[in-house]
Amino acid sequence: MDLQFTPEEQAFRAEIRQWVAENLPRDISHKVHNALRLTRDDLQRWAKILGKKGWLGWGWPKQFGGPGWNAVQKHLFEEECALAGAPRVPPFGPIMVAPVIMAFGSPEQQKRFLPGIASGEVWWSQGYSEPGSGSDLASLKCRAERRGDKYIVNGQKTWTTLGQYGEWIFCLVRTGTEGKPQTGISFLLIDMKSPGVAVKPIRLLDGEPEVNEVFFDNVEVPAENLVGEENKGWTYAKYLLAHERTNIADVNRAKRELERLKRIAKAEGVYEDARFRDQIALLEVDIVALEMMVLRVLSAEKSGKQSLDIAGLLKIRGSEIQQRYTELMMLAAGPFAVPFVSEAMEAGWQGDYVGAAHCAPLASTYFNYRKTTIYGGSNEVQRNIVAQTVLGS
Amino acid sequence: MDFDFTDDQESLRDAVRRWVDKAFPFERRHGIAKAGGATRAVYGELAELGLAGLAIPEANGGLGFGPVEAMVVCEELGRGLVNAPYVHGALVAPALLAAAPEAVQAAWLPRMAAAEALVVLAHQERGARYFLHHVATEAEARGDGYVLSGAKSIVPAGDEADAFIVPARLQLDDSHHPTALFLVERGAPGLAVRGYPTQDGARAAELTLQATPATLITVDGAGLLERAVDVGIAGVCAEAVGVMDRLVAMTVEYMNTRKQFGVPIASFQALRHRIADVKMQLELARSMSYYASLKLGEPPEKRRHALAQAKVQLGQSMRFVGQQCVQLHGGIGVTDEYAGSHYFKRLTVIEMTFGDTLHHLGEVSRHLHDTAGVFA
Repeated sequence: MDLQFTPEEQAFRAEIRQWVAENLPRDISHKVHNALRLTRDDLQRWAKILGKKGWLGWGWPKQFGGPGWNAVQKHLFEEECALAGAPRVPPFGPIMVAPVIMAFGSPEQQKRFLPGIASGEVWWSQGYSEPGSGSDLASLKCRAERRGDKYIVNGQKTWTTLGQYGEWIFCLVRTGTEGKPQTGISFLLIDMKSPGVAVKPIRLLDGEPEVNEVFFDNVEVPAENLVGEENKGWTYAKYLLAHERTNIADVNRAKRELERLKRIAKAEGVYEDARFRDQIALLEVDIVALEMMVLRVLSAEKSGKQSLDIAGLLKIRGSEIQQRYTELMMLAAGPFAVPFVSEAMEAGWQGDYVGAAHCAPLASTYFNYRKTTIYGGSNEVQRNIVAQTVLGS
Repeated sequence: MDFDFTDDQESLRDAVRRWVDKAFPFERRHGIAKAGGATRAVYGELAELGLAGLAIPEANGGLGFGPVEAMVVCEELGRGLVNAPYVHGALVAPALLAAAPEAVQAAWLPRMAAAEALVVLAHQERGARYFLHHVATEAEARGDGYVLSGAKSIVPAGDEADAFIVPARLQLDDSHHPTALFLVERGAPGLAVRGYPTQDGARAAELTLQATPATLITVDGAGLLERAVDVGIAGVCAEAVGVMDRLVAMTVEYMNTRKQFGVPIASFQALRHRIADVKMQLELARSMSYYASLKLGEPPEKRRHALAQAKVQLGQSMRFVGQQCVQLHGGIGVTDEYAGSHYFKRLTVIEMTFGDTLHHLGEVSRHLHDTAGVFA
C-alpha cells in the first residue's frame, strides 16, 4: 500500500503539466475557470490541439493510434487537463463510439472512422434516448429496416448533447421485434448530413440550447455503417457504458471547482462565516473520499489483483458532488445570484455586471447541473445496479 | 499509488480472522458484555498472536510493524466485534512511549508487547470536549520526580489497566506551562480509579489524582499527544470499517432471507436503494480509512488535517450504516439478542472516540487550504 505515485508516474504528470501549460489557449482556460460560455470553436480548437499531439484519444491503445496509457496515466492526464482549466472534451467520439468501433467494428470501419475521431476533425453525437425511452432504454422504437444494401431509418432521438454541431451520430435502432426488447437493437453510424435528418434544439432551464431532438424521416444509411452484428447493439451499448467509469466521476474537475468555490466565498464574505465554511469543509471531505475511491479503482485496474465492486458508485457520488459545488457557489453569491443577464456569461462582456462578475453564471450553472444525476443512467437506476451487485439478486 | 496488500499483510489478516472465527463468536462477546465488560483476558489472547506488540519495536519485544499492518488487524477485530482495548493498548500507548526516556521504554514496552502490562491514555477531562490542549490536571515537581493532581474521564479499560499515560499542565514558569506527559502506575498513592461498563460492552473509568507520583515521559508533549491520537483515529477508523463490513453483510443476508408479503424483502425497491446508499457510505469509509493510515507519516499539519477529514467521513458513514442496518432488520434489529444491535452500538461509541464528526469538521473547517484533494 502506498499513496504516492511512482517516480515514473510523477515524471509523466510533470510532462503532461508542462505540455498543457504550453498548449492550452489562455482564452479557453479563462472561460473554463470562470464558467463562461464555451463555443463550438473553443471545444474543437482544444480537441484539434490534442488530436495533433495524438492525445485526443488518450484512452486508446497504440494499435489504433492512441498513446497506450494505463489507467493511472489516463487519470493523471485527465487531472492535469482539468486543473489547468481545459474544457471537458465532448466524449461522444473519442470516449464513447471509438472504443465500440475498436472492439466490434470491421477493419474498414476502423480505418474510415477512427482517424477523424482521433484528430478532432469530425464531431460525433449520441443517439440513445427517445421521448418514450429514458431509463427503460431497451424499449426504444426508432426503426431501421433493411432494404438491399441500405437501412431505412425512421423515428426520433432526444437529449442529444451538442447535436447541433454533430456531423455523425451513433444510434441504437430497432431492427427486430422478436423476443426480449434488448435482442432487437442494432448499433448504427449515421451521417447527419443525410437527407431526412433534422436537428431541433431544446432550450434547457438555464436558457441554453445544450441538447437536441434528432428526427429521422426515411433516412437511407448504407448497411456497411452497421457496427458488428444486427440485433447485437445492446451488448455493444453496455460495453460502452462500462468503458469509462472513473472518468464520469470527474473528481479532478471537482477539485478545481472547489478552489473556485473558495475564491467566490472569500470575495463574497462568507468564507469566515463558520456555518458556511463548514459546508465547504464537508464538501472537501466528500471530494477527498471520492478521489480515494477513484484511486482504489485505478490501482485495482493497474495491478489486476483485486476485483472491486465499487465502480458503479462513482457516477452517483461524482454527480452529487458536482451538484453540491454548484449549489454552494450560488448560495455564496447570495442575492447576487438572482439576476439573469445572459450576456454577462460571455467572455469580455463590457456591460454593467450586477455585483461581482463571478456571480453572473452561478445560478445558471446550478440549474444546468441538475442534469448530472439524470443523464448517463439516472442515479436511481445506478442505485438499482449497485443494489443488484450488493444483494446478489 | 497502490492499494493492494502484500502477501504478508494478507497472511496477517488471515491469522487474525482465523482466531476471531474460532475464539470469538458473538456469544462470547455477548457474555462479556453482560458480565460487565471486562476484556483483559481477551487482550491477553491477542498477545499470544503477537498482536499486542504489533507496533512495538523489535528491540523491545514487539513486531515493529507499520500503520498498514495495524489497519489490517483493526479491520479484522472490528469484523469480529472483538471487545478488547486493542487500539488503546497496542497502538496509542506505544506511540506515546516512543518519546519516553530509554529506561522507561525498556521497563514497559516488553511487558506491553506480551500484554503483561496494559497501558492506556487517560486524556479526557470534563469540560474539554475533544480538545487535546484543554488540560486542567496539574503537574508539580517534587523531590526527584513529579506529582499530579486532577481528574481524567472515560479512560478506556481504566480499571483493568496497569498504568496510565496522563497529560498534565506543568508550571515551568509564569509564561511557559506545556502539556507534559506522565506515566502513572495503578496503585500509586493518591490515585483513585472508579470503573464502570460502557455502551459497547467494555469498560472505562474515572481517575482522580491527588499529588500522585508520576514518571515523566516528556515535558513538551502536545505534539506527541496529537500524533498518538491520530494513530488512534486511524486505528478506530479501520476497526469501524470491519464493523460496518460485517454489519452490512449480515443485513444483506437478512434482506435475502426475511420474507414479507410472500417475497424476500430484498425485492422491495425502497430497501434496495437504502442498501445501495449503505454500500456507498461503507466504501467511502473504507477509502478514507486507507487514507488515514497512509497519511500517518506526513508532517504534523498535513497529518492532522487528513486524519480529521477521515474521522468526518467515518463519523458520517458509521451513523448512517449503523442506523440504516438496524432499520433494515426491522424489529429484530432493536433487540439485545441480535448481534446487529451490538455492531450498531460499537459504531456509535467509535464516533465519540478521539473526537466526533462535528469536532473534526471544525478542525477541517478551521484549517481549510486553497487547494484540496488527496495530494494537496
